[in-house]
Amino acid sequence: MIVDARVYLGSSLFGYGQALPEILAKMERLGIDKSVLVPVKPRDYHLAPMNELVANSLRKHPDHFLGLCRVDPWQGEAALTEARRGFEEHGACGLYLDPWEENFQANDQILHPLLEEAERRKKPVVINAGHLRVSHPTQIRDMASRYPAVQFVACNGGQINISGMLLFEARRMLEACPNVAIETAGTYREDFIEEVVAEIGEERVLFASGSPIYDQEFEMARIRFAHLTDTQKQKLWAANALRLFEHRP
Amino acid sequence: MIIDSHTHVDRFGWYDPPETIIRLMDEAEVDKSIIMTYVDAPDVKGSIEFIAEAVQKHPSRLIGYARMNPRRGEEAQQLFRRAMEELGFKGLKLHPAGNRCHPARQETIDLISLATNYNAPVLFHCGDEEFTLPLQIAEAAHACPDATIILGHSGGYFHTKDAIRVAERYPNIVLETSGMPYPQVIREAVERVGASRVLYASDGPGCDPKIEVHKVKMAGLTTSDLEAVFYRNIKKILDRVTTGRGKQ
Repeated sequence: MIVDARVYLGSSLFGYGQALPEILAKMERLGIDKSVLVPVKPRDYHLAPMNELVANSLRKHPDHFLGLCRVDPWQGEAALTEARRGFEEHGACGLYLDPWEENFQANDQILHPLLEEAERRKKPVVINAGHLRVSHPTQIRDMASRYPAVQFVACNGGQINISGMLLFEARRMLEACPNVAIETAGTYREDFIEEVVAEIGEERVLFASGSPIYDQEFEMARIRFAHLTDTQKQKLWAANALRLFEHRP
Repeated sequence: MIIDSHTHVDRFGWYDPPETIIRLMDEAEVDKSIIMTYVDAPDVKGSIEFIAEAVQKHPSRLIGYARMNPRRGEEAQQLFRRAMEELGFKGLKLHPAGNRCHPARQETIDLISLATNYNAPVLFHCGDEEFTLPLQIAEAAHACPDATIILGHSGGYFHTKDAIRVAERYPNIVLETSGMPYPQVIREAVERVGASRVLYASDGPGCDPKIEVHKVKMAGLTTSDLEAVFYRNIKKILDRVTTGRGKQ
């Protein structure tokens, strides 16, 4: 079984995007059983209708999709209300926070009410990670240390720095915070994924493509060709994502 | 045939002995790889000799580039001359994020000019960090029109548009595919700059050469363009290099 832990739905303000039929067709072609849908930030900046679009997609295709509720923490109380609506009405399996596109720092205190809500409801928080200035692994580590009962998922291996200068920081984040997992989309260096699996834990890594920002087929190759055992790969392909997103009490 | 234009062998920073890249080359069916350290000479003593020894141990598989710190001035130039004339090196690698020497600084230009005297290519780390941005390296390409300037990683995660833009602007700029995660950027580079100025590379062993080969194959190129990217272009560049050791 293959679960893609991050697939964007909708037409983004930032020029990328894909509609549901396109996502389903690619899943069929590539053998992906289930995707975790994430709303894009649309041209009108309003995330709530995009969360509804994801919720409708889950209702139409419950076997194919899980969905994250995306909120902008700068919206304060309105963001908290939207997060609650996501959990209570839309069946969201977690929160999605994007410090890069919503322009906040991953360890800013404006996140506290949202993280407290996630903690109360035992829902994971997915953070678009690895962006210098806003979601550096040290910032995610700082926030994850403040909320040890919240399960965080750091996108992009926690680091997307092609000089390799964040590899050390991303690893230290994982060592310091057992409540942080990483997903593999766009990750710099496959040996980082292999090392994390071998030395930090095979439960701590999830396959994700980040499609369409990254190429879904190419991102699958990172797992397919990885120097890992079949058992380890099965955990990355699906078991870890299902454990974090589906089976939390 | 496949020649990998950017891989690493090192024992000073990260530990990657030559056997690691050879194993991954075998898995990926890569015939030859250009190797370099993760550290600069002459800052790290013995780094040039380490690459020379690796090439000597695997002469049919490995080709050496000298990674240098231009800030070391005449000392760097002397060592680069020795690398080219006595140790069989074929090119220069510059990583300005490490040595904080801007691509357009005179010390960098002097070293590029020296490499150009041997017709040796200059491979820059070209990503998202200060001093490695495509527009910054383009200043060196402008100042040294006879140099062959290779943009390693083609601008990384966030600067691929700039990399293609400067390659369109300067005919002495060559794009290289390693690490950056977008197969469609390779296709766009070939369409806009021409297949003759795009090189396959992996940045292995950290980035897996097999996955990096797969990425290039996903770009939807013609067979002829694929051959150009996989080996013809770099072979042509290396064939022009003049060193004490003759042609590779």
